Amino acid sequence: MKCCREQFQYLALLVILLPLFACDGKGGSGASFVQVGDFTVNRISEDITEVRDGAGRKLILVPRGTPDPDGIEPCRVVRVPVQRVAAYGAFDVATMKALGVLEEVLVGVTTPADEWYVDEVREGMEAGRIAFLGYSSSIDFEQLRQQQPELVLTWDHSIIPMLDDLGIPCAITSTPTAMCLNARMRFVQFLAPFFQKKKEADAFFDRVNTTLTAIRKKTANAGPTPKVIWGDIYEKRVYVEPGNAWVGELVGLAQSDYLFHDVYGTSCIEIAVERFLYSGEEADIYFTYRTEKTGVTSKASLARLNPLLANIRPLKSGRVYAPLPHYSQSGDRLDEILTEIAAILHPECYPGFEQKFFKELPETDPPEQGGIS
Amino acid sequence: MKTLFKTIWQKICSIHLTVALCLMITADSAWGYFCLNRHADLFEPLNDIGLVEWIATFGRHNLSHTLWLMLLLVLLFLLGLNTFACTTDRVLGLVSARSRMGARRFFFRLAPHVMHYAVLIILSGYLGTYLFARVLDSRTLVPGGSMTLPGTAATITFDAFDPIYYEGDALPAFENRVLMPRARLTLTRGDDVSTAVLAYNRPVRFEGYGIFLKNFNPTMRSGGMSGRTRIDLSLRRDPGVRLYIPGMFLFTVGLVMYLVERVFYKKNKKETL
Repeated sequence: MKCCREQFQYLALLVILLPLFACDGKGGSGASFVQVGDFTVNRISEDITEVRDGAGRKLILVPRGTPDPDGIEPCRVVRVPVQRVAAYGAFDVATMKALGVLEEVLVGVTTPADEWYVDEVREGMEAGRIAFLGYSSSIDFEQLRQQQPELVLTWDHSIIPMLDDLGIPCAITSTPTAMCLNARMRFVQFLAPFFQKKKEADAFFDRVNTTLTAIRKKTANAGPTPKVIWGDIYEKRVYVEPGNAWVGELVGLAQSDYLFHDVYGTSCIEIAVERFLYSGEEADIYFTYRTEKTGVTSKASLARLNPLLANIRPLKSGRVYAPLPHYSQSGDRLDEILTEIAAILHPECYPGFEQKFFKELPETDPPEQGGIS
Repeated sequence: MKTLFKTIWQKICSIHLTVALCLMITADSAWGYFCLNRHADLFEPLNDIGLVEWIATFGRHNLSHTLWLMLLLVLLFLLGLNTFACTTDRVLGLVSARSRMGARRFFFRLAPHVMHYAVLIILSGYLGTYLFARVLDSRTLVPGGSMTLPGTAATITFDAFDPIYYEGDALPAFENRVLMPRARLTLTRGDDVSTAVLAYNRPVRFEGYGIFLKNFNPTMRSGGMSGRTRIDLSLRRDPGVRLYIPGMFLFTVGLVMYLVERVFYKKNKKETL
């Protein structure tokens, strides 16, 4: 009995001590913290926001016209709202479009004009407002400097030292592990403080979240559970979307079975060819990375590109989908993309659905395209 | 007042507390295993931003996954307190009984207590690391590039990337992959110039900083997504090292003392009997 009382006293002491460890040292009015996968937005005060980019680098966002914060390297200080941005990735561009700032702020890209499907970018490049800075592997730094960006959004870490020398802050927008569905939906909330567009970011997230809820509801009692794989074989290497990636999660949420759910890591992760073929033999639906531009116009053309693929079930008796060229630049239409994937997985729940981002590959190429049937 | 202190001291010394804490730590660690599973990303920033900031940000906003760690810290703190009190209590007992045993015997009887104090020093060192370490988050260097260590005139220059590649043919997926990334650095401090090789699990120590390789490119002989060579570094100035390295040394001393006591004194005792 005495022993129990003693242990109860210790437990009480523990309960008293715990809040001391959990207490917030900063706090204050206007403080908030948002985590978006590996990205964070920590609003320290009304004027100062601290963000961590995909490489874990801290950037300090301060309003224009305020003095430099003490003890912070100049290339880690970003004046907001940012007015001139150079972006490497189509996803970054799409996110700026979702925030409604694309036309005003984008001044440089690393994809030439004829490869863009975003009207604002095409028009901006035609008007000379947006410059092609060279491909990501060979950036024209003189051109970059002429565009006077206040921020560069990139996935390429190796550009950081050069940008530091030029005095241009940059944010790494890719992460070592694939973005989960929640991070993909919330990424807009990471970029929002750079442009002071919190409301727009929240509205975008709410819109996508509502779509996701609708998908869950609609597919809750769907028919047989389709088995899905997403990836491709390139010569000797095989890349797939891991189970922690947003597509893997979405497939699971839409009452389907993602066969690479046990694979964890970066987006487009390499796995053994045997693992791919093993899952491929079970799969009903296969999403390839390849597009028409890379020669994929039918199941037969896919099998020709890589004969190993001919043995997987979706090519023999299932369905195969290839992304349309504008898919990778349509991140601002994430809600539509999610719905389309759900409609592909469960066509019985979405009768008459018209696809805009993916194309179901026919068995063979139509004769007029010159394919071998 | 004296009675109150004595009561508190006895409570802290209690073996019941030790058992209860050990059980709670076991249960909490099991809970932590499940929380860590696929949520490692929540805990990785702990290495970069320090404990206080981590609790205020990641910790507080993901309590369902992080509460176990905060609880573990409290439990370890209490276990540390309990260990200190127990050990000190025993040491005081030994000191008062010193006249009844020889000096050498007394010295070796201190062995378990030396180990206990060493563990406390090691734990304090790790706590010091999480509380006071100064971490410079990811710094990227390209060949020929250099950086100055904050608060010093010392510089690090990245001379070349000299990795070891997979050369076998048993694992086709590993063909041409980097097995061990190695970066050749030049460390300059005034007129004093030296070289060092940095690799994973092989940090370089320079001017009180620990320099760690965090990431690198290319990952394959033929180049990755970007063929450009680079290394990402993490630099730490860690005051905890000053505690836990002596703590480890002290623990080793205690262990040797304990072995000597077990081998010689117990043997002598048996022979005497």
